[in-house]
Amino acid sequence: MPTKDANAEPSFRTMIQVDMEIASFLSNWAHCDYISSYLARTISHNRPDSVLFSNLFSSALNELLEVTFRTRHSGGALECRLSRLGETDRIELTFACSREEHTFLEAAVARVQGADRQARYLSSLSGDVAPSRDMMLLELTVNYNATLRLEEVDDDMVKIVVDLPLGGLAN
Amino acid sequence: MTAHLSPSGIAGRFKAHFDLNNQEFSIAGSVRPQTIDELAPSLALLKESIESVRGVLYVNVRRLAQMNNTAFHAFARVIIDACRVRPDLRFVVVTSSVVGWTTRKFGRLSKIEPGITVEEYDSEFYPGQSFLEEGGFIPILRTQTKMTWRHERSILPRHGMRPGIVMADICCGIGDFAVLAQKEFEPSRIVALDHSKSSLAYARKVASEFDITGIEYTYGDASEMLLDDDQFDLVTCRHSLQIFNRPAQILKELFRICKPGGRVYITNEKNSHCLGEPRAESIRWTYNEVAKLFEHFDMDVELGPKSRRYLADAGFDDIRVESFMVTNLDGDPKDFADMIAAWEEVYAGDMAAKRGDSGEFIKQFRQGFKDHISAALHPKGYAGWPIWAASGQKPL
Ligand SMILES: C[S@@+](CC[C@H](N)C(=O)[O-])C[C@H]1O[C@@H](n2cnc3c(N)ncnc32)[C@H](O)[C@@H]1O
Repeated sequence: MPTKDANAEPSFRTMIQVDMEIASFLSNWAHCDYISSYLARTISHNRPDSVLFSNLFSSALNELLEVTFRTRHSGGALECRLSRLGETDRIELTFACSREEHTFLEAAVARVQGADRQARYLSSLSGDVAPSRDMMLLELTVNYNATLRLEEVDDDMVKIVVDLPLGGLAN
Repeated sequence: MTAHLSPSGIAGRFKAHFDLNNQEFSIAGSVRPQTIDELAPSLALLKESIESVRGVLYVNVRRLAQMNNTAFHAFARVIIDACRVRPDLRFVVVTSSVVGWTTRKFGRLSKIEPGITVEEYDSEFYPGQSFLEEGGFIPILRTQTKMTWRHERSILPRHGMRPGIVMADICCGIGDFAVLAQKEFEPSRIVALDHSKSSLAYARKVASEFDITGIEYTYGDASEMLLDDDQFDLVTCRHSLQIFNRPAQILKELFRICKPGGRVYITNEKNSHCLGEPRAESIRWTYNEVAKLFEHFDMDVELGPKSRRYLADAGFDDIRVESFMVTNLDGDPKDFADMIAAWEEVYAGDMAAKRGDSGEFIKQFRQGFKDHISAALHPKGYAGWPIWAASGQKPL
């Protein structure tokens, strides 16, 4: 079990958790889509507009899973936990990765929350190269107002924590 | 011209299409490729579309439910590049307010290239939307549902309603039917969808005041819903096919979201058959005119008895049709009278005025409603409003 933050954060209630072997996750790209669609639908029922919420949440979670898919892993398990506090839904993705990947993710998480994130997002959008993992994470902060942070669970495990404030949305 | 995707698991989950007449490239479904190679046919189609239009290309993403950044970037690139080499060309991206992310995300493109604009398209409302929405109709919908429910609660089990099912009420209005259905039949899940924000707000308010949970009130357009295929045991759509100018298209969507083996249940009127005694003649004349008035606005309030044909044409099996008459004897005759008074106000008020009817016509038109009200309240009178309830099974 990951250790809990020491600071007195109001507590998020876990709604659902999916664990799978990294190897089987990586065996099929469509897993990103299946998992994000399934989980989004599962937790959407008590949001004011379940279909709108599920559509947005699935988009965001899918980007995150795609980033994870593209990360160089060192085996082990992938844990995806969703929890909720009020109008915020939290995604926690825990997996093993190399030191370099860890450093990369740490830097990326910091970059995408910089004050210049809008400009970065636009420039990566108009850039020629295929979208980087940075852009996928930028998407979350720029288009979904997400906040991201990275936690080190133990030596070679990382946990990406993303808070998405989508719960109050309704048309 | 249509490009279907073929490779891997995302196959067939989206469709791209170009319509030269309307200079419109559209892409719909869920687009989540691993690499852009999987998009090659659609990207080629977009490039071809750009080459074959003049002035403006509409990019229709109204039914684009999902698109990952890999795909978004690839399509955006093609459009941005085209802006640079073809300054004569404008791009108008048409989004829908129903899909949460498209307006914002495509909107970013206009910051990069001013030749790209985004228009959020709020579905062409059904022809009478403004009359019914702004006409203070909400209390009347409540009264109507209360009156029809007395009949429908015993009818519904013959049309697939039973405890534990997953159901959707499409065009739910203010949501009363969903609440009544939940109480009486305890389905395991109810999705209630409408395209009126004010009605949904009202429904949500009622639900929270009465501590009703478990009904998912959802904003959407019945003619192109974000709901997945084959999801519901029972899809209901009450009093609504008759107010669309293209009922068959709505029925197609109801069919799509229904599970194979599940049922779609619709109720509709035949307004010219509203009746009353005394003063039957005056009442009959007025309701004949009601039917013509709706026809003028492209709505068919005579649809009830055509339900069988509509369901058959949409591909349903085991079609069941029945009719019932809501009357002044069902409950409080005052409710019946109130409903007619509200009809008079909307039909002989806003709608007749909009059609440009003469004062003389309107006077006679109103008289039939007044006579219907008198019939309802008369100690020996009888007043009726006939409804057709029909359902069909989606083949297994
Ligand atoms: C006559 S009311 C019937 C409401 C409810 N079913 C009832 O029986 O009281 C028609 C409803 O259809 C809704 N509606 C109209 N156009 C729609 C669309 N394109 N998609 C979804 N709902 C729509 C209206 O907002 C309205 O609530």
